[in-house]
Amino acid sequence: MESLEIYKDLFYQSLRIRLVEEKIIELYPSDLIQSPVHLSIGQEAVAVGVCANLNLDDWVFINYRGHAFYLAKGGPLPEFFAELMGKKNGQSKGKAGSMHLASPKQGIMGASAVVSSTISHAVGAALISKIKRENRIFVTNFGDGALEQGAFHECLNFASLHKVPILFLCEDNNLAVHSHKKERQSFTLEKLVGSYGIPFHEIEEGYDFVKVQKLSKISIDEVRNTKKPVFLKIKTSRYKEHVGPGEDFSAGYRDKNDINKWKKLDPLLQDKKLYESFLGKINNEIENAVKFGLESPLPDREDLLSDV
Amino acid sequence: MSKTYKAALLEAMQEAMDNNPRSLIIGQGVTDFKGIFDTVKGFVDRYPDRVIETPLSEDSIAGICIGAALNGAYPINTHIRADFGLLIFNQLINLAAKYKYMFGGLFEIPCMYRMVIGRSWGQGAQHSQSLQSLMAHIPGLVVVMPADPKSIIESYRYSIQKYKGPVVMLEHRLLYELNFENDETKLSHPIFGSKLEIEGTDITIIATSVMVLEAKRAANHLKKNGISVELINLHSISHPDKKIICKSVEKTGKMLVIDTSWPAYGVCAEMNRIINEYKPSILKVPSNSMGMVSTPCPTAKALEEMYYPDVHDICKEVIKMVKKDGSEINLPKKISMTDFYKHFKGPF
Repeated sequence: MESLEIYKDLFYQSLRIRLVEEKIIELYPSDLIQSPVHLSIGQEAVAVGVCANLNLDDWVFINYRGHAFYLAKGGPLPEFFAELMGKKNGQSKGKAGSMHLASPKQGIMGASAVVSSTISHAVGAALISKIKRENRIFVTNFGDGALEQGAFHECLNFASLHKVPILFLCEDNNLAVHSHKKERQSFTLEKLVGSYGIPFHEIEEGYDFVKVQKLSKISIDEVRNTKKPVFLKIKTSRYKEHVGPGEDFSAGYRDKNDINKWKKLDPLLQDKKLYESFLGKINNEIENAVKFGLESPLPDREDLLSDV
Repeated sequence: MSKTYKAALLEAMQEAMDNNPRSLIIGQGVTDFKGIFDTVKGFVDRYPDRVIETPLSEDSIAGICIGAALNGAYPINTHIRADFGLLIFNQLINLAAKYKYMFGGLFEIPCMYRMVIGRSWGQGAQHSQSLQSLMAHIPGLVVVMPADPKSIIESYRYSIQKYKGPVVMLEHRLLYELNFENDETKLSHPIFGSKLEIEGTDITIIATSVMVLEAKRAANHLKKNGISVELINLHSISHPDKKIICKSVEKTGKMLVIDTSWPAYGVCAEMNRIINEYKPSILKVPSNSMGMVSTPCPTAKALEEMYYPDVHDICKEVIKMVKKDGSEINLPKKISMTDFYKHFKGPF
């Protein structure tokens, strides 16, 4: 694909995720979605850029801030809205909601709301893949808060020891709920990862989906070729509050200027011409998906008791 | 034909590896010369890909089992002490137990967590705990305490070959070396059922794990003294057979629950809930519970003897409840259970 085509394609996908989440913000006061939402607005380029290099049968293990990865990996949109609305036709019959998205057909494995708790799932799936001599890779996606969990270190150790094909993908937005990395971490990530013998890569421009796509391809190819773990950290920026549809700059724990710097670089905000050209088509898709959710029936008592 | 408890475990593990190519044995010590008390000894030589020694990382290993199950394996995760199993509770309770339900049936997590209860011979507070109630409380988990070799073979086979969810197997260290004669009693279901061990008329005893054996010894003693005990081996802690329980208590009018754990909020409490919600009027005398004293487990042998109930204590309680002139019945001598089951000589 020509580079302009790639730019347009990734722009479209990133914008689609942003507009979906802006629709959630719009719907939220109506109480159609009665469950916490952790929005990815500002972080879309990470999911879109990475997933552009993944095959359908590569599995991604996501977390509670999972809208972007769910959509970027191909999770169906109508079932997404039905799920958030707690409807029977939701991807998981409404039992999951925003925090527990999954869609195994597209290789989107179950999201957990307990930080770092799906990293080991990716390691386990990759271990079996190695035993079965499969030719695919596994991605575990987590935030910088997960880096402090013991399970994260355990997983680096095991994955390196057993040489399994996994990409450790850290979305570094510098925040764990409301606390900054400097309040939480005493270690140097690159050195830590290196001490396990795992190659470490970093992308600074997490707003630039083209750059993310190009540079993450190097890490992903490295996993495919070596069939060993690789670590990729991508700097990004969470525009919204930790949980909920709003902003929380007035709370005083973060500086609006930091976000504004990112916004000035954010193609979705800067390239107004392309934005306008895609708006109609995407909104049309979103309206239909919302309609699907609205028209879907509520789950019943049978659903309550099934799947235990 | 007689068989030891641990020989049955070895047989179950052997069958898992031979009959189910997806089976994976993973845990600390699975490749060492002790092989989880001989139950997987030497397996690594025969199945090098499928027997995996692990770092001391219980939490992530439990999660690795979930990921392995998602990719088609049947992981069997071993814990030489159930107490170490506490380190997997995030994965076990937050993930494995909920994975099918939380995602609306999109996934299944067939897997087994084997945990050994290490009671006695000075195992102390952190090597001896019976944690069945904590786990049986959680929807999505099946918790089984097999009390004899036949129950092991049936429940492990069913779990590994047929059941599609996580099963916790609590094995009792005191039972491992014991030899069992083959008997005719049957489980009402391999993992969702219980077993009527002895039919009787005067009192129902419901017991778990090693306490089934101790209750059997008590029943034998009492029989010689004219008291007829009906004994139920609970087997499935999470899914006991309520029909067997209610029918028995309705017949005898008396219920004594003997668990390997603490009575409060546990198996004893649950049996009382079952009877109370069924028909409390069937109890002719107040129900009774026996379990560990409500303290952590002491290491000193003198204290340990007081900590666990045994055949002597059981007979005493039964006589009190049945109220046939107790003074005429000799109680069995108070001998340490670990001395009685003296095949077990430590250190682990």
